[in-house]
Amino acid sequence: MTVANPEVAALPPSSAGPAAAVHHDDDRTAFAWVATVDHKRIGILYLLTALFFFAIGGIEALLIRVQLARPNAHVLSPEAFNQIFTMHGTTMIFLVVMPTLVGFANYLVPLMIGARDMAFPRLNALGYWLFPFGGLLLHWSLLAGGAPSAGWFSYAPLSETPYSSTHGTDYWILAILVLGIGSVSGAINIIATVVTLRAPGLTIRRLPLFVWMTFVTAILIALALPVLNAALVMLLIDRRLDAHFFQANGGGSAILWQHLFWTFGHPEVYIMALPAFGMISEVIPVFSRKPIFGYEFVAGSTVAIALLSFGVWAHHMFAVGLGHRADLAFAIGSMMIAVPTGVKIFNWIATMWGGVIRFSTAMLFATAFLLEFVVGGLSGITFAAAPIDWQVTDTYYLVAHFHYVLFGGTAFAIFAATYYWFPKMSGRLLDERWGRAHFWLTVVGFNLTFFVQHFLGIMGMPRRVFTYPDLPGWGALNMASTVGAFIMAASVVVFVLNVALSLRRGEPAGDNPWNAWTLEWATTSPPSPHNFERVPPVRSRRPLWDLAHPGSRPEATPKNEAAPPDKSLVAVWSFIVSETTFFVVLILAYVFFNLSTKAAASALDLRTTGAFTACLLASSLTLHLAEKGLSRGKGASFRAWLGVTLLLGIVFMAGQAREYVGLFHAGVTVNSSLFASTFFTLTGFHGLHVTLGLVALGIMLRLAFGGDLDVRSSAALKAIGIYWHFVDVVWIFVFSVVYVRSFL
Amino acid sequence: MTTTELLVSAWDRGVLVPLLCLSALGAYGVKLRGRHDTRALFFLAAVVLFFLALASPIGVLARGILFSAHMLQHLILVLAVPPLVLLALPRTADEAPVRPMEPLGTTGAWLAGVGAMWIWHARILCNAAATIPWVQGFQTASLLVMGLAFWRPIVASRHADRLPPLAAMLYLFAACVACTVLGILVTLSPVQVCTAYAHPSDTLGALPLLRDGWGLTCKADQEIGGLLMWVPSCLVYAFAILAALGRYYAEGRPAAVTAGGRR
Repeated sequence: MTVANPEVAALPPSSAGPAAAVHHDDDRTAFAWVATVDHKRIGILYLLTALFFFAIGGIEALLIRVQLARPNAHVLSPEAFNQIFTMHGTTMIFLVVMPTLVGFANYLVPLMIGARDMAFPRLNALGYWLFPFGGLLLHWSLLAGGAPSAGWFSYAPLSETPYSSTHGTDYWILAILVLGIGSVSGAINIIATVVTLRAPGLTIRRLPLFVWMTFVTAILIALALPVLNAALVMLLIDRRLDAHFFQANGGGSAILWQHLFWTFGHPEVYIMALPAFGMISEVIPVFSRKPIFGYEFVAGSTVAIALLSFGVWAHHMFAVGLGHRADLAFAIGSMMIAVPTGVKIFNWIATMWGGVIRFSTAMLFATAFLLEFVVGGLSGITFAAAPIDWQVTDTYYLVAHFHYVLFGGTAFAIFAATYYWFPKMSGRLLDERWGRAHFWLTVVGFNLTFFVQHFLGIMGMPRRVFTYPDLPGWGALNMASTVGAFIMAASVVVFVLNVALSLRRGEPAGDNPWNAWTLEWATTSPPSPHNFERVPPVRSRRPLWDLAHPGSRPEATPKNEAAPPDKSLVAVWSFIVSETTFFVVLILAYVFFNLSTKAAASALDLRTTGAFTACLLASSLTLHLAEKGLSRGKGASFRAWLGVTLLLGIVFMAGQAREYVGLFHAGVTVNSSLFASTFFTLTGFHGLHVTLGLVALGIMLRLAFGGDLDVRSSAALKAIGIYWHFVDVVWIFVFSVVYVRSFL
Repeated sequence: MTTTELLVSAWDRGVLVPLLCLSALGAYGVKLRGRHDTRALFFLAAVVLFFLALASPIGVLARGILFSAHMLQHLILVLAVPPLVLLALPRTADEAPVRPMEPLGTTGAWLAGVGAMWIWHARILCNAAATIPWVQGFQTASLLVMGLAFWRPIVASRHADRLPPLAAMLYLFAACVACTVLGILVTLSPVQVCTAYAHPSDTLGALPLLRDGWGLTCKADQEIGGLLMWVPSCLVYAFAILAALGRYYAEGRPAAVTAGGRR
């Protein structure tokens, strides 16, 4: 086990550091990797696992292309084809792109900000292990009657039991839930790390752009994933408990699924794109030997993209029939998002302009990224115009578009990042000749595969259909696309061979093979477990450049640099923001389905629940008194008030249980009406949160009676307290919306 | 009635609004004491927007005829006029000791801004404001006051009263989310938010034009209202967030560069 103590991150390591390093370096056993909490090892585990799933997703892509190589082919049955494209999409997005980006973030963020590890190393390990677990759940469906086959966005009602009767979709839901929870925990960890563990002098405005964009992405994840989680929960309740959230025959709304899915789905596009932008923003300046052009614009446009990304999801739904007015509003919003994205492209070009460009493989991939991503971006703008969208939606034009964004954009950036940071991770350079072969095979294969699909789409070839008639030109273009796919497969083989060979025989890299400027290059390659012997002083955005040019006049560090907030408080607040999104979705679903019914008034008892509500709210007060007792060192008062808090929480839960039993006796169960489905889902999840809070408080009480409560645990109690108050505030909203409103 | 006729005739002929505008301009002129200041343009813009929101066809249609006009008026009064007024106030020197905004005060200001959006769309209040003149007057005043309270931590004339840029970004983002949720509800709601607009007392005779000529059915009208609250108002917050970020980066620039040619 490594020693992870982020509190001393920015300080020169004490004598314990090197000792731990020796211990760590010897520990190359498999168990050491499984049990690791070192952010670097976890990062590498992420990358290797993602590479494994990349191979699986790639093989699935090849199967799709083999089936589509010729018209009227029967290599795959329609059912198998549906399962394979669903698995390909889900795998590539949730098991390849996101984990790869998280893996790079994990490895690099602490190094780039001069920290010793992530803020919460154990949470980090949990986040990683949820990832293979989710992948396992998803593929378990193959043993349980068939893979999911409703597409990566599982549109209702296709994903409902009558139309997807195998367990495939259930496993899909569980897998995505597990992966979503892992992603949120990782995001909270990144937020806490960047906010609290930066080296002295490394202000937010000096953050390396990769760190900044990863930080913004983490915020996006914390806000967007809970929306998906809430929707998944509803779908699962539909499927397993016969509710009707998304089934029109029970009064539900299939469109609601689309709204919720794309509320997550569009920010998700930027979750996959922004870190890639960050990688490009690190690679291009270093290989152009110039600082990035317009740092503020690159950083600011990232924020603009993140903000706008939440307001444009309905452009995925132009064909649904939202009406011209909504289409217009979302078309304008979608076109606006092209502005900050375009700004970035110009920033990167301007960085290269007049620079001393060195086309290493990393730079080749970064340059190709600019071209491919512009193609994908431009076809994206065509989709923002609703009439064009109606014409080409669900055709291969769309497939071409998003592969240019996700492969031409994100995957090219990931390859650039791999060639750039591999020396730091392994201590050896990747072979440049193999790298060039990899690059050119990728470029040729990728463009051959997907560029022709623009034409196929405009000719009307629908996506997600297992075969096609022998229309003029369709067979030849599809064959070209399939040939391209196999060239891409060859390029991946070259890449994997390059990695394997370079790990053994690659040229030793040294600390800073590219003469780069950010902090990760100030330590050894690979870095020691504690990362830095000494973090260089940070007085500008390019600390290593300052170090090499002592005569330069670096910016002065602002004197009033505030002390960073406590990491557990940052984490708990991020968690609360994330949870708020989850509850907002559940409350909105309740309101949406109950605006014009009076079911609540006849089923619920305002007065009794009001009394139990008073108990819950009083518990916030008693917890506050307990905290006061602890901070004043009055152990007895602390224990007493904590006990009262616990008791009040239990009374509230008993009241909930009593209400549930009464409803069950009256025949109101989760599948009896939409009111009941939404009511039980909303109050049930609130009850779950209260229960978790009670468990946490119970642990604190146990510690208090064991006399193990010291100053350090008062930060933990404070965090639990904030969570407890949050649960109470949520209840105020639930109570107002569900109970009070229905009796007005 | 044609569109042109509507735009020409549907102006409020009362004296109260012009009087208010003129006295506001007069008071501002006295405060400036004849000094030239580009900030005056902000104030002029605020007064013009205020006048348009209340006395132009926007204001007239907002009185119980068109929900979307009401929403436009609402947004101008909360999101445009107050920040412009605050920006127009002369900068006061930061002589008083720096007193960071208390969390309670900030929360209150935030609640005022978000409450201005939500409270007046409760059905009873919305209907009352659409049909009873004195309630509408009260609504206008309260929107301006709540708007001023909300924007003060962002664009207060005294720097010490402003939130630090990164906190300001959070503050604005949270407001944007709260506003979006309301916009979504109004847009997608199957029921009428303000029933007054479903059965307008059409004193203007404009209803045939609006319903048939412009195609604004009740449902369409409410959808546009919701979308106005959802998309453009969020853009206001988004731009304010970017401005805060810009301010943050500007603060970090070395003094030499700031003083030199860059700005």
